[in-house]
Amino acid sequence: MKKWLTGILAMLAALTGCQRSEPQGTKALEMGQAVYYWRTELRLDSVERAFLRTHDIKKVYCRYFDVVMRDGEPMPNATLRFNDTLPKGIEMVPTIYITEDCMHARHEWLAKKLVERIRQMNETNDISGVKEIQIDCDYTARSRKTYYEFLKEIQYQLSARPKVACYRRDARIINCRLSTTIRLHQLSMPAPPVDYGVLMIYNTGDPQKFMERNPILDMRDVAPYLNRLKGYALPLAAAYPVYSWQRQIHGVHIEHKVEADEILRVKTAVESKRPELRRAIMTYCLDKENINRYKTETYEAIYHH
Amino acid sequence: MKRFIIISLLTVLALPMSACIWFTNYNNYLFSPYDMNEFRSRVEATCNDNWKAYLGSKEEYYWFDADEAIKTARKKNDLLMVTYIQNLQKYLQCADEKRQEQWDYPTKEQLAKRRQTLITVRNYAQTKLKTRLRSQHALLVMRCNMLLGEHPQNVTFWNTTGSTMIESVYRDMMRNIFAGALYKTGSEYEASQVFAEQGDWESLMTMYYEKRSCAAIRQEYQRHPDSAVLPFLLKDFVNNAQEAIDAGNDEEGFGGKLFIRDITKQEARQMCQLCQQVVREGKTDVPVMWQSAKAWLEFLFDNKQQAVSDITKAETMGGTQRMKDNARVLKFYITASQMPDGKAFDNYVAEEMEWLDTKLKDNVFFSDAQARITHQILMKRYNTQPNRLLAIEKVTGCSEYDDCIDTIKVESLLKYMVYTQAPSANALDRYLKNGLKNSPKSTDYEAQLNDLVGTKYMRLCQWDRAIGWIQKVPLSFYQEQGYARYATFRKFNVEPWVKRQWDDEERPQMTLKTNPKLAFVKEMQQMEASEKVLTGKALQQCYYDQAVRYAQASYTGDCWYVMRNTKSVMDTVRLNETDLAAKAATLLRKASATSDFALKEKALFGLSYVYMNPSRWYDDVWDDNTYEYSRKSNRQSTQWQAFATLAEFEKKNATRTSSYVSRCDEYQQFLKRYRQ
Repeated sequence: MKKWLTGILAMLAALTGCQRSEPQGTKALEMGQAVYYWRTELRLDSVERAFLRTHDIKKVYCRYFDVVMRDGEPMPNATLRFNDTLPKGIEMVPTIYITEDCMHARHEWLAKKLVERIRQMNETNDISGVKEIQIDCDYTARSRKTYYEFLKEIQYQLSARPKVACYRRDARIINCRLSTTIRLHQLSMPAPPVDYGVLMIYNTGDPQKFMERNPILDMRDVAPYLNRLKGYALPLAAAYPVYSWQRQIHGVHIEHKVEADEILRVKTAVESKRPELRRAIMTYCLDKENINRYKTETYEAIYHH
Repeated sequence: MKRFIIISLLTVLALPMSACIWFTNYNNYLFSPYDMNEFRSRVEATCNDNWKAYLGSKEEYYWFDADEAIKTARKKNDLLMVTYIQNLQKYLQCADEKRQEQWDYPTKEQLAKRRQTLITVRNYAQTKLKTRLRSQHALLVMRCNMLLGEHPQNVTFWNTTGSTMIESVYRDMMRNIFAGALYKTGSEYEASQVFAEQGDWESLMTMYYEKRSCAAIRQEYQRHPDSAVLPFLLKDFVNNAQEAIDAGNDEEGFGGKLFIRDITKQEARQMCQLCQQVVREGKTDVPVMWQSAKAWLEFLFDNKQQAVSDITKAETMGGTQRMKDNARVLKFYITASQMPDGKAFDNYVAEEMEWLDTKLKDNVFFSDAQARITHQILMKRYNTQPNRLLAIEKVTGCSEYDDCIDTIKVESLLKYMVYTQAPSANALDRYLKNGLKNSPKSTDYEAQLNDLVGTKYMRLCQWDRAIGWIQKVPLSFYQEQGYARYATFRKFNVEPWVKRQWDDEERPQMTLKTNPKLAFVKEMQQMEASEKVLTGKALQQCYYDQAVRYAQASYTGDCWYVMRNTKSVMDTVRLNETDLAAKAATLLRKASATSDFALKEKALFGLSYVYMNPSRWYDDVWDDNTYEYSRKSNRQSTQWQAFATLAEFEKKNATRTSSYVSRCDEYQQFLKRYRQ
């Protein structure tokens, strides 16, 4: 009996020890697979639907619209057209991309307008069950403070308010979670006031120096940030690139894409520094071309927890 | 030149290999049977011109403004136009709202209201179909139907009303909407014919993106031998075949362009058979297009003799003027790549280049074709005739010309100058020399060549020879060079290891007052003369002063412009150029033998300057295990040795170290390693 008790106590100690090694709030990070959806029209074809099924995708981070500076004010741009619905059981996470210059000055009304617009898009297009929204912004030292204030205002807008009761029950987005994207260079700054961050492990290179490094992902560009991972004070999910990038230089088309080995090498490296990054994993982004670019085994390896 | 090429290749190979390495290979598409005059830009330009004419606007870039148009219509007492624009405005507002780029996202009720507005505008427009502005109103009806998603109504409306209107841009737009409606209602073939006839390549690509193959082209041909889509599909197929070859061809392709479809040799062979069948059956009005396609595919897949035979037959066949011109371009490329050297070849090249020149202004296709023929055929064929090669590069505007003329020996350049002034020996020389005479700023060409001969002598440090050529060049020539700005404020006598002469955006633009190269040459001449008579400390000072100037004039110096026209981080010592930094280092070593403390310290510091050393004192080495760079000392490097000598010297004179040495962060970093 004494041995039993000692054993149980030892196991408990070990478990507690494991939990302590993970950053605070990690539990809030649900384990699972997700994808970004980054087109202007929501319409899934059979290949994309099969992908969601095969890889047991739990969430789709769907770009609803961008916010860009137009005539001196932040304005919505490239709004998603809803011509389809997600398969049952998959959670929709409205995701908004905000250009960094929108955060050069404070716009007090912006958070309210943004949340209201998401709510209206959900209502008009019969989107229900939204539990989270995500904001994507390449904030810098110049815009960080304004951006964090903006995130706090969004948190406030998302918290329960008397008027919310007026909303149709299925379209309301009260008490939902807020997440944001974290780029590698942002790891050197204090963590933003959100429930968790998604570490964008792509767009790591300088597009101007495309002959030297792959601008989408190169281990050598990730490496300088690895030591920042362990101490970053926010639960983190990981997002890996599966896209290609075509562009014209002097009238000639160039295609950038990342070799599967490189993605997996980076995954191993980041997870070795922060094991929590195995919990919630996503790829950027859902598209037939991207699905066909890599083997199913590659996707399985990327999504491996 | 050979060394330059080898160095360039080594540089490329030294770069980290990735999927996106790129350089231009001039593989511009040569199969182009029609002009890519895009529908959308054509229509936009015409509409804007119509409004400009109505408003009497003279603005170069006019953009439609409804309020301004209504004001003008009211002034003209044109009430019909006023109501038309008001309703057009409502439609445009709905279209804008549909794009949903406002903060207020529409509710279901607002969507219903928008629908109602569109119906009202449509109903209004329908009552104006017999007025002076009937075409505009008919277009408005179709636009409203399109936003309402009522595509079958648009098909009916076009057939009964739109198609009866007179030819105009509004009718073109109606027909385009009609084609879209056909597509949406399942009449894809009919839609494609209209899109192709209108040159709406964007819509066609959307329709055919997944359906491009030899089998699809055969099916299209069987449906109608002159289907309007066939030139589009055939062009797409043949040019994708080129992409497939480029991608698999290490020498020429190196990745190719956008890889849209991987066309196999087998599929290309099937395509050749189809082309043959089409020509044999005689059902098409444009056999030249099919025969040209076959010839080019045969050529691409290495059946060169068959290609010559096919393209020769194509010349006599029927088709549009563009298709015939395209066949001539293809014949030029195919023939020139196989014809033996000699007078007949020279004459043929001259004749075809002259013809191409007459076509350049018509369309960008012809200049693209000329670029490809020049780079891939003529530059190889005339590689052993340097004067002609240079003239071809110059006349056709090749970027290689600048590199080539810059790196050839001065004796070769002098021969080229004689060639350009001598009487023409044959048709090709006549064509080239006419081209040189007619090229823009041909008077500058003489100044450019004189400057270059002088500069080449400067690069060899032959100041006496250089001065005669440089003196011939007017100051105005130097004032127009890109480097003139730097030449106005930078000085040769500033020690680069002590002070860099950075540019400042705030610095006002200055005018050159003296010929900068002449000033440099004269100083160097004078110093070399002094060196012969000086002794002791004065001689050591003279060595140092010369070293400063050599270092400034080297490609890493601030006064690089005395030896070259441009600067780049990729620069190296070029072919037929003295290594000026090495020369400066030799002189610094001589100067460092002095007993004068200040001169010795400066000379030793200069010797440790990064640009005086072919190898650095450390290497940053990537570690695959730690995912980090680590710094490894390179104790055998010349810079380590130079820094070490300086460090020992400073150690012996610890109290006298100058601030430019003690404040040098690179030196401080070195000391940490050196003392370990």
